[in-house]
Amino acid sequence: MSTTTTSRIEYLPRSRRRTLVAIALAGYPVAVAVLVTLKHTSLNRWLILALFLLVLVPTVVTLFVGYLYARGRIDGHRARLDERDLTLRQQAYALSHRVLAAILIAATAITEIYLTSGNTLRLDANTFVPVLMWVIVYIPALPSLMLAWIETDQPADA
Amino acid sequence: MPDHQRQVHNRLAVLRAERRLSRKQLADKLSINYQTIGYIERGDYNPSLELALTIAELFRLPIEAIFSLKPMTPLSEEIFRDPPVEPR
Repeated sequence: MSTTTTSRIEYLPRSRRRTLVAIALAGYPVAVAVLVTLKHTSLNRWLILALFLLVLVPTVVTLFVGYLYARGRIDGHRARLDERDLTLRQQAYALSHRVLAAILIAATAITEIYLTSGNTLRLDANTFVPVLMWVIVYIPALPSLMLAWIETDQPADA
Repeated sequence: MPDHQRQVHNRLAVLRAERRLSRKQLADKLSINYQTIGYIERGDYNPSLELALTIAELFRLPIEAIFSLKPMTPLSEEIFRDPPVEPR
């Protein structure tokens, strides 16, 4: 990764960062929804897979940008984190926890409503794997995304 | 800065310009990142008491000359303001 690209990511305006975070968060559920929908069609399996991966690309890219933006600060690997970095990191972790709690509560509520409405839920690979993938991808990525979400624009150099 | 937090106004940019210090130079003296100086100057980040005291010590000024909860009046105005007229 070139220095120019990294520095360009570091100076991304907040509005653009927030758009990227929104894409990163919404991308995977959208891709899974596309996959589920396409599975019920007569399309070729490879074509379905290709379409799924195509829809997944923006998510992967935005997750990577989020990682690059917060790299060294969210994991504490940067040599010198000052008090603002530490405060920001704390805020990012706190917000990640709130977002995660909100998602889990919403998911539990939706499942509960679905089940109490007389429906049944089969817990097979088709249901379990997307949820597991979500946990594997988003739980480590959430703090970086939240840091990118909350940080204000960098002041112009002077 | 979180919405619930009160903004701390400061004269850091003026003092830094007066002493011909870049953000980087000041940040190095304070052992912080240079962006943090920019965030403080812009009012986007309230420094800790420790950092505020260190800044005051560095500029050899009382802390209230640099940081305030009320918007700062220009330094020139404070220095050259007419003193209150003494009653005769």
